[in-house]
Amino acid sequence: MVNTKDLLARLLDEKKLSYCQDCGSCTGSCPMAKALPGMYNPRRLLQRVSQNLPELLKSEELWLCAWCYRCTERCPQGIQPTEIFLLTRNLASKEGRIPENPKAIMREIMRSGRSVSVPNDFDEWRGEYGLPPIGATISPKAIEEQRKIFGEDLLRRLDA
Amino acid sequence: MTEYLLFPGCVASVRELGYEMAMRAVFKRLDVNLRQRDDFNCCMPACLVHSVDYERGLALTSRNLAIAEQEDLPLMTLCSSCFGNLSRAKYLLDHNPEIKEDVNKLLGEVGREYKGKVRIEHVVTSLYKDYSPDGLRELSVKPLTGLRAAPFYGCHLFLPQRYSGFDDAEFPQKLDRLIESTGATSIDYHEKTACCIGCGSFFGKVSEEAGLKLAETILDDVKESGADAIVATCPFCMMQLEVGQIKLKESKGKEYGIPVIHFVDVLGLSMGVKPEELGLDLRRVDVTPLLKRLNRI
Repeated sequence: MVNTKDLLARLLDEKKLSYCQDCGSCTGSCPMAKALPGMYNPRRLLQRVSQNLPELLKSEELWLCAWCYRCTERCPQGIQPTEIFLLTRNLASKEGRIPENPKAIMREIMRSGRSVSVPNDFDEWRGEYGLPPIGATISPKAIEEQRKIFGEDLLRRLDA
Repeated sequence: MTEYLLFPGCVASVRELGYEMAMRAVFKRLDVNLRQRDDFNCCMPACLVHSVDYERGLALTSRNLAIAEQEDLPLMTLCSSCFGNLSRAKYLLDHNPEIKEDVNKLLGEVGREYKGKVRIEHVVTSLYKDYSPDGLRELSVKPLTGLRAAPFYGCHLFLPQRYSGFDDAEFPQKLDRLIESTGATSIDYHEKTACCIGCGSFFGKVSEEAGLKLAETILDDVKESGADAIVATCPFCMMQLEVGQIKLKESKGKEYGIPVIHFVDVLGLSMGVKPEELGLDLRRVDVTPLLKRLNRI
């Protein structure tokens, strides 16, 4: 098993965060930075990954990236901020720091196999529009498989 | 006969039934068979499950790819976020043998394996590749002359280019070409390739407010461009830009009245499919005035 920490170390090492030339292409491309000026800034977030990781793992900003990939597409140094933020969140998650909103959606995914909950009578409504049934959850065997792949430890981490 | 394995996703099949109806009506006309299964799990958004555990997130996404390989059919998603997640998993596994090995160890525990031969398409990419704009123009028996459409690309249909491989990352053109193939005019505007934050940020109030702020910028720009409607590719974008109009009316008294439809709606209308078959009466922003002006009702 590739340890997440190894993967993070490799991404950080191979793409060398020190290659960042502070051009700000990431922040200039970022929809979150546009919507939340002064609050969200991927360029500074990247600096904190290498300079102040323990503090970053406690921060809310780490969970704000909307994974649109514009920064990754445009970084002239080939740094992949989007994937780095996802991996950094893995470290926060290991410390038990998963914000409540994302946690609730993941619990729904582990319960029903979908991120949006489906009411029991929903198929009747779909039927009225000539659409085939989808069921309130995906098949029980599929739910069992996905829970097994995700594993007991992680299910506990989500309280799922 | 062309055949796809449909990856229904949750937003389209639960929140955007109109889009699903239009998609089914159009593919029925095109004689494309859509096979279905009841055991796909969620595409496992990278911003959620992969954020908690990278490998297990990838394994869960790849379980869907393994199922498609067993069926020996290309996958087709309705949602750009599903398309993005599935394409990302395929790219990461195909380019990193050690990650593929680890993911397959996890899949092996449930008797599955990812080999790497699956093809992943989105409704829009499949239409572009299988028919091409020229091919669709020939099918357009009732061209939508006079419709000024604002294409809204969303993100994961074309970003990042290395995962999706569909269009140019800075100046995507393919949705414009598809829209033009129906006889409509594709309007150029600044926010054409903006992000709506619909599928990616689940932090709660902060994310929602950020999404609404971007929706306002996008809607203001579309209004200024003089477009009649936004033509989107992703159900998340559709939801954000429709619900955004409702919220901005409540909070700021802004009246946009800009219908948000999908490319399959435009294609369907140009092929002579009736508006009700396309579920256009299910749209949150009334499409009736536009349909009247285009003599479709």
